[in-house]
Amino acid sequence: MKTAIVATAILTSLSTTALLQVRDSMRESPQVSLAPAPAPLVDFRSTGSVPPAAAQSNKDDRLGLTSPGKSDRLSGLPVKHVRSTSFFAAYASEAPDDQPILLAQADTSPNGSVPAPAVPAPAAVAAKPAIDESALRYFARQGDQRRLDAEIARLRALYPDWTPPADPLAVPNVGDPQLDAMWQLYSQGKYAEMRKAIADRQTADPSWQVPADMLERLSVAEARERLINASDLKQYETVVRTAAETPSLLTCAEVDVLWRLAEAFAKTERPERARDAYKYVLDSCTDPAQRLATVEKAIPLLPKPLVDQLLATERTGPDGKGEFQEARLALSRQTVANAGQDPKLVVPPADLNAVKAVAEPDTGNASDPRLLGWYYIRRDQPQDAELWFTKSRDREESAEASQGLALAKIALNKPGEAEDILYKYRDESDDIRKVYMAATANFLASEPRVAIDPAILARMAQETAETRDPAAAQQFGWYARDLNQHQTAAQWFTTALQWKPDDEPSAYGLVLTRNLLGDKAGVREIQRLWAGHSTRIANLGEPVEQTQANRRIPAPTDAPLTGPASAPLTASTTAPQATISAYTGPATQTTTATGAYSAAPLQGPTGANIAMSDRMAPADVNDANRGAAIQEAYTTTRTRNAAVASAEPRQSAESRSGGRAPQGRNCSTTDQYTELTGQAALARAWCLSEMNRPLEAAATFEQAIRTGNAAVQREAAYGQSLAYLSRNMVDDAALSASKAAQDPKRSHQLEVDILTQRALGFYEQKRYNEALLALDQRSRIATERVDLMAIRGYAYLNLKRLGDAERVFNAMAAVGSKEGYKGLATIRDVRRLP
Amino acid sequence: MTLRLLAASALALMIGLAVPSQAQTQTATATAGTISVEDWTAYKAKFLDPSGRIIDTANGNISHSEGQGYGLILAFLANSVADFDQIWTFTKTELLLRDDGLAVWRWDPTKTPHVTDANNASDGDILIAYALSLAGETWQRPDLTSAAQSMIAAIGKHVVVGTPGGSITLLPGVTGFKSTEREDGPVVNPSYWVFEAMTRFATRDKATDWKALSRSGQALVQTARFGDRQLPAEWVSIKQSPVPAEGFPAEFSYNAIRIPLYMVRAGITDRNLLRPFMADAGGPGLSLVELKSGAVSATLSDPGYRIIPSLVACVVDKKPLPQDLLRFTPTDYYPSTLQLLALSYLRNIPGGCA
Repeated sequence: MKTAIVATAILTSLSTTALLQVRDSMRESPQVSLAPAPAPLVDFRSTGSVPPAAAQSNKDDRLGLTSPGKSDRLSGLPVKHVRSTSFFAAYASEAPDDQPILLAQADTSPNGSVPAPAVPAPAAVAAKPAIDESALRYFARQGDQRRLDAEIARLRALYPDWTPPADPLAVPNVGDPQLDAMWQLYSQGKYAEMRKAIADRQTADPSWQVPADMLERLSVAEARERLINASDLKQYETVVRTAAETPSLLTCAEVDVLWRLAEAFAKTERPERARDAYKYVLDSCTDPAQRLATVEKAIPLLPKPLVDQLLATERTGPDGKGEFQEARLALSRQTVANAGQDPKLVVPPADLNAVKAVAEPDTGNASDPRLLGWYYIRRDQPQDAELWFTKSRDREESAEASQGLALAKIALNKPGEAEDILYKYRDESDDIRKVYMAATANFLASEPRVAIDPAILARMAQETAETRDPAAAQQFGWYARDLNQHQTAAQWFTTALQWKPDDEPSAYGLVLTRNLLGDKAGVREIQRLWAGHSTRIANLGEPVEQTQANRRIPAPTDAPLTGPASAPLTASTTAPQATISAYTGPATQTTTATGAYSAAPLQGPTGANIAMSDRMAPADVNDANRGAAIQEAYTTTRTRNAAVASAEPRQSAESRSGGRAPQGRNCSTTDQYTELTGQAALARAWCLSEMNRPLEAAATFEQAIRTGNAAVQREAAYGQSLAYLSRNMVDDAALSASKAAQDPKRSHQLEVDILTQRALGFYEQKRYNEALLALDQRSRIATERVDLMAIRGYAYLNLKRLGDAERVFNAMAAVGSKEGYKGLATIRDVRRLP
Repeated sequence: MTLRLLAASALALMIGLAVPSQAQTQTATATAGTISVEDWTAYKAKFLDPSGRIIDTANGNISHSEGQGYGLILAFLANSVADFDQIWTFTKTELLLRDDGLAVWRWDPTKTPHVTDANNASDGDILIAYALSLAGETWQRPDLTSAAQSMIAAIGKHVVVGTPGGSITLLPGVTGFKSTEREDGPVVNPSYWVFEAMTRFATRDKATDWKALSRSGQALVQTARFGDRQLPAEWVSIKQSPVPAEGFPAEFSYNAIRIPLYMVRAGITDRNLLRPFMADAGGPGLSLVELKSGAVSATLSDPGYRIIPSLVACVVDKKPLPQDLLRFTPTDYYPSTLQLLALSYLRNIPGGCA
């Protein structure tokens, strides 16, 4: 009985090749030498036949570890084998009660052959049945050597007296094409069709008996599919249950299934069971790649002590190297990598040295030194980090190593080098950009002052504007101030405050600069705003006058950044860039993260930067709450402006232009208009707008921008924006809007319009995520109109975000919108499924 | 016995179902052989993939637990063991994956992996379990019966819950509908009550009071009626007295149209319960109704939809069914399924309903 159960275990396509591997490795490793080398298998391999008794004894020796009749074999086993069986005993205790898996699992073989489905075998032994060679014949004819080998092994195990045909490929066709067809479906993995074929034949020919092993193999194959699908879906209980119901799946031939089972245990907080499953593979399976993969799979899933138990099963190869050397190294790498994230982790010297040993030689890769670089960065050893990151970059330029190196350079007070290293990677990721901006800010903050190459300054200003980085803007302010470029300094400080309203050092810089420039009103304005929040601002200059108390807080566009054309800062190209960013700013600027530089030493002032740190973090604004309060003050003001702007019905184009373009003036002729300048060009442009000739109007507005005074420029830029907007040329409109600062109401309305058009444009192009982004931006500064809500709803719908779409359409329906009901109906249709 | 009944009903079919007959027998039993070979062949040619999945042709050719459940029931009613096994293999290996023993509800041929959402749909689970139970016992297949019993137990354990009013109810899915998960929860779907399945479960599983569940479903159909036409909403909040659930359109629509079919098939022929569903009998189509306004949002003319009100009128008022509804030509998965379920019911009544 036992023997028969064991014999059927070969059932799932364990190839003779695998058996040979078992034997080979057994000779080499002490623990498996317990099983006698199955020499007869070699005979079988070479002659095509195998003495049944020999094959049997081979199996006997390796199987049945816990079966009562064979307990004597256990006595000599090393502990690990006993553990391996205990895995199945414990595992069996979890199985449903009606599953006789304990028996089957107790018979699990440590050599990769299969534990036992108990059903078909006893009869086989008892009665010497007709042997079904149909599968054998089918696989032979298909030339499927792997399956043929497996089938021979299976039949030999099932029927010890059976002798495989000397030439399996010459097996005569006994003429059952239907059976062949079934095996073909099997080999193609078409199990549903195979089930159907079997049932069809049974219906057509009630006397026909489906081969029992065919059914068995089919259900094992189905269980395998199910287990893998459940594993992919993270339905780990199903994985465990299916494995328990189908113990014959748990073989070295299906090592992937074993791995998935182990993972299921690990993910359901049964790490010891997972360890047992991995251990089972290590004790049973011989394929070196699989063994190594087993350990590597266990490493991220199991706690280290359990991993160590697995590593202890390591076998030594003929070259004297441990088979898990690579896995051990992977473990060391992982330990070091974890420490590169978490400065508190303590890395055992052995792990650190193992990684260093492979990172050091010139033959090494770029990633090992990188791991070490991060390790040292997190441990405030920038010199070591610099060394390793440099080594990594020498081997392979990468954004990550450059980022690390830049951090090291910043920490070593070499921010200029950091800027230079990171510039080309600045757009790779948000993190890298943050480090780049930290390098920029620190570079500008360097004391004593260094002359920075104008080209470098220009690109740093450009990036500062693009990132809307208040810290760097502030440092530009101080830098300009120290070069006696006070107008420029004022603009940078103002810009910094727009991006970060609670940035006290920038406010301080600005008030110093205004004071120096004699702008008393400006000084008082800042003092009023910061009253109670900054003593150093309050103490500066003249006392605050009551009459100033009601002055409006400066909105971002109130201080036009006209571009400090004056010299070394080369801001003529860079500051306008800043202006553009500042223009579109109000909606998002208050989101500027504080503490974005956690990785860079900017926040924690280094010893070299005492003067700077004083500027950056004056003692009386350290209180986060105060900062927040000030920030809120700015935000509130802007929100109020926005509310006012959106509450006022927008003037129609007619009424707007009516006052500007003289009634009755004919602008339809094109004569001479290219020579118009200033106010005249503006008037003609409005006229063209009114005549719905937006492109001509835009060109004429351009004339006005080029030739007019500040007031004309402002008006013309506004008109040009509207003209482009009317043609849905959104980007051009945005550009126009940036050509001159507008009053807050107008700039707000323009921005709303631009975002509206953007959203619509993206939606039309089916770029739904971008449409939603534009709508989100818009909704921050203006109430969402119902028609735009519909766009939003359909964008969600198209993105299959049904819940979000439903929320939007519901809100619309709540105010009686037909479009809302339509949207809901569409969702319902989509959802009509069960 | 089954064979004899089958022969009798086939004979009745040949004579013509619409012939009035005083021998009105209400049989609630789903019987193998009550779908003709021709109809089943046409159905599976269009909706059954060789892999064993039922294809929802109107929904991007996806498959779902409801479709597999219907497919299994229809294969059983067509008395086709082979097709049943084929559909079951797919269902078992591709959908019956959840840890709790229920099926994931959606399988998309265009996605990898094919299942991206591990949620269940209770009606799909019930249909599958019901089909397994029918087939397992009729064909004496312990493997199917055992799978059925496990699923019935899992359904009872995971989606049958107590109500605020002290009764029990059927959640549409394990997640998303409970009182703890929604402001207006529990939210239920009256069309998920497959009454005939519950009748069967009651005699095969004692852990859940399936009869009480069936009664609560009927009570729901009785009380969750809205608008002029007094039709049930698809999704109903039963936090207090039933109201259309928040966030769902208040509509009598594709889900709810099968409620009367399920009732009739289960032998629930209470006139008061069924009256609202008869309005479109013999008409050009089945109306989907916006319950707030009473507006008809769509009129479905597919015979698979039209047969439902006519079947109700036939059972309740003995109005003969229009002959054209008795002919089966597959159109889309959903109406074609409903039509076969209706036809199977008719063929199981000697002499027909009218």
